[in-house]
Amino acid sequence: MNSIVLNIALPLLVAFLLPLIHASSRIAARITGPLVLMVMMWSAVIVFKALEYPVSIALGGFLPPVGVSFHLDQLALLMATIIPLLMLLLWPYQYEQNLREQTVLLLLAAASSGLALSGDLFNIYVFYELISVASFGLAAANRQASSFAAAFRYLLISGLGTVLALTGIALIYTQTGTLNLAQLGLLSSRLDNPLGLSAFALILLGIGVKAEIFPLNGWVAEVYSTASTRTSALLAGLVSKLAVLAIVRILVVAYDDSEAGLMLLVFGVLGIIWGEFSAWRAQDLKRMFAYSSIGQLGMILLAFSIPGEAGMFAGIAMMLHHLVVKPALFLLTEKWNHGTDSLRGAARLSPLAAALFVLFALSLIGVPPLPGFWAKMLLMSGLVGMDTSVYYIALAVLMIATVVEAQYLIRIAVTLYSASDRSSELRLASNTGVMSLFAVVLLSALLTLTPLGSKLYHIAAESSNRALYIRTTFNVNPTPVLEHKNATQEASL
Amino acid sequence: MNPIEMNPVALQWLLYFGAMGLIVIGIAGVVLHQNIFRMVLALAIAEAGGNLLLVIAGFRFGAVAPILQDDALQTLNTSNMVDPVPQAMVLTSIVIGVGIQALALALIIRIHQRYGTLNMREVHACMMVDINKSAAVDDLLSAQQPRGRRPLPSPPESTAKRANNE
Repeated sequence: MNSIVLNIALPLLVAFLLPLIHASSRIAARITGPLVLMVMMWSAVIVFKALEYPVSIALGGFLPPVGVSFHLDQLALLMATIIPLLMLLLWPYQYEQNLREQTVLLLLAAASSGLALSGDLFNIYVFYELISVASFGLAAANRQASSFAAAFRYLLISGLGTVLALTGIALIYTQTGTLNLAQLGLLSSRLDNPLGLSAFALILLGIGVKAEIFPLNGWVAEVYSTASTRTSALLAGLVSKLAVLAIVRILVVAYDDSEAGLMLLVFGVLGIIWGEFSAWRAQDLKRMFAYSSIGQLGMILLAFSIPGEAGMFAGIAMMLHHLVVKPALFLLTEKWNHGTDSLRGAARLSPLAAALFVLFALSLIGVPPLPGFWAKMLLMSGLVGMDTSVYYIALAVLMIATVVEAQYLIRIAVTLYSASDRSSELRLASNTGVMSLFAVVLLSALLTLTPLGSKLYHIAAESSNRALYIRTTFNVNPTPVLEHKNATQEASL
Repeated sequence: MNPIEMNPVALQWLLYFGAMGLIVIGIAGVVLHQNIFRMVLALAIAEAGGNLLLVIAGFRFGAVAPILQDDALQTLNTSNMVDPVPQAMVLTSIVIGVGIQALALALIIRIHQRYGTLNMREVHACMMVDINKSAAVDDLLSAQQPRGRRPLPSPPESTAKRANNE
């Protein structure tokens, strides 16, 4: 189990060694990155298979309330497996000069794994910041003037978010005197007051910058339309999900039965409205998908705002669905980066890409046989199951947003398949190979829906179980390095 | 007045308000300034406020620094000791802040090289032009622009003529 620490240490180490490896051997540098990602995936899968019940790892031998702990449950390990997998799919293989980008990608892999596994609020903050730095680098990696400007504006918004999150963490520390998530769970009664809730709001807004939460998502369209498509796919597909995961961990463990869930609902609904209507107005594919991902992230937040297993189940399903569909759609924009009108008749030139677009669009809308329908169905039944007027309003917003979503996605599909007189100006869509892989994943999810659903339900039940989380963390039994378990020793070392 | 002689409660409130004030000043600076270099400085001020807040969270008045000798562990009295955990965290967060500020300055240099301006509104306008160009989308009609970015209407002819006559 302890080998999972490798998932953070190894890419972090290799990221800084990569320039040195490159200096000695170019071929070695080219294969190092993918090799590291494969090792990460292998180690995560091994632990995932061996895991029968959640495990907590005390790092450095300090027991959890004092030391920093990693919480290994199925959800965390699922994310830890997906991170290297998605990065392998979106790795910049064919570019010789992308050494720096590869370094930053490895940093992102390390920080993402850390965020998924961490069971300590401050540790989450540190890994989140590392993700931020890596994503600024990726956003600027295009080396065009507009991508520098977009990365800088992203940095400013993200920096504001950092300050908010840090303030929230400080407020929590004044209330409880601890930042270990499990111990916060034990002391959650101290957080069930206005000060504790405002701390949650600050952390939600702070970490929510990456999760494209409503008021702080001005960067989304700018970064996604100036960065490379792979970066957009990674940021929209992976980084946003990890931020959501961090928020959900804090919500489930430390803010049980309180108004914090409602806060998530409000921000989620606002995000849905803003994102879907902006996407409806967008005139090119990149910005349309960027805004649509804001709407989708709103739906995911909405799903997680439903307390209990139902909400967790719907949220995880929505999250995984979006994680497959959105990167694939962004890959499509690499060559089809035009106004939507100029795509008229593109289906004749690249039929596979157009067919894949239709498949992903239908799944995103939630047309019945596809997995997207199943995820949205779970969300809607979860909302109905709450039987409260607020959740019914959210349901109504969700329905309207789905109609809007269907309108703009089908509009594109119709454009692709309509006749054109200017077909010579069209460009072939690229990256259909990787996109087809995503489609295979989506379709195989469709075929194995029943076992997949029961597996996801187990994951959801496990990760929404607060008592289990706390029990797991305090049952760890490593050999203590030192006899005295005093807080002061940690600082003195 | 010597701060040590002050009432600890009053001093603590002063520090809390000071930290909150720094955060508010910083955020206001980021929102209100147009110069991107000043925005980074404002961000640094806000971060300092956040760090100060975290330090105060673990501070005890009249307590000693938690530096221990080996024999002190046996007779340890944690009540007269400053909580060291937030201080360790603040060190981490200061380092992170410095890194991010350095990155921001590097980006500012790049932006100034390419666009030749440090005004956020101009940078944003240049960026939108570039994005629209790369997406091959025409700029929005001025009537569709958000209100703040509409070009000013040309002055009515009568006033222009009057200006010419004078």
